[in-house]
Amino acid sequence: MKKVILTMIALVTISLTVSAQKQVSTKTHFKFFSTTPAENIEANNYASVGTITPASGDIVFSVPMQSFEFEKSLMQEHFNSKKFLNTKANPKAKLIGKIANLDAVNFTKDGTYNVDVTGDLTINGVTKPIKEKATVVIKEGKISLASKFNLTLADYEIAFKGGKPSTNIAKTVEVTVEANY
Amino acid sequence: MTTKKKILLALTIGVLIAAGIALYMFNKPARDVQATETDFSYRASAIVNEYLTDAKAANAKYLDEEGNSKVLEITGIVSDISEDFNNHKVILLKNATDKAGVSATFTVETNAHTNTVKLGDEITIKGVIRSGAAFDSDLEMYENVIIDKCDIVSK
Repeated sequence: MKKVILTMIALVTISLTVSAQKQVSTKTHFKFFSTTPAENIEANNYASVGTITPASGDIVFSVPMQSFEFEKSLMQEHFNSKKFLNTKANPKAKLIGKIANLDAVNFTKDGTYNVDVTGDLTINGVTKPIKEKATVVIKEGKISLASKFNLTLADYEIAFKGGKPSTNIAKTVEVTVEANY
Repeated sequence: MTTKKKILLALTIGVLIAAGIALYMFNKPARDVQATETDFSYRASAIVNEYLTDAKAANAKYLDEEGNSKVLEITGIVSDISEDFNNHKVILLKNATDKAGVSATFTVETNAHTNTVKLGDEITIKGVIRSGAAFDSDLEMYENVIIDKCDIVSK
């Protein structure tokens, strides 16, 4: 009997440790959406890597910038170019965040939890503090994360000096994030 | 035909050609990676090690300023098969003893070519490089080389 109880305690401890440990997501989706009277532009990226650490609330994403796909190849070339995101010099964007209200999430119970993520976002080699809302979903022990927020391009020194791109790209773009851990 | 009419005709043709070129540029189709000549062929371990040794030099060598980066053929052992949010197949080529591997994303057209691929197989893929391998101290893990628009190359 004693052995059984010990085994059970051991198993519970192990499972708790596992759920508190850092988890990796390679199934991710980042979307940029820009809308102006001239046109709507959308870019999608499915190749990012992210981690979440339930014990500390740490959230990290590394985004390979050349993996953003546009409908029009000319837009994709503009996006990558020195004038815009300079992806040859800065091939990755990085988010280092933390769930500010970690108490609001029960990682061991199925449910949808609203969280505030604070941290630093580095795009185009420029790092800025961010504070955005996100949703953490726990389903059958699996964690997923979703968020939608706006990004002001000028904050990251992303600006066209003139010409068509400067009028056809919104000053603020909507970013959508989803990740399955 | 008067001189005035000739000038008008020449101008009209000029404007039409310019408009045609602008329209073509705007709707320019994306580069067909599979139809593009391969720039480099490696084993997965070789490109991973090149990146882990000097990522800056490797980026200078493989990445293009406008995103039309080098087309690579990579041979390696299949260590994982998955699918991304876009329903594209993703095959990880990685040696068990290497710190990182090469993650190859397929396309709507080439997804089905992976149907017969099994874990442990040695295959060669062709695609465009998007980013290199590195140890990321924030993720606290090694990131793979990312290759996109892949197809399997039969040898």
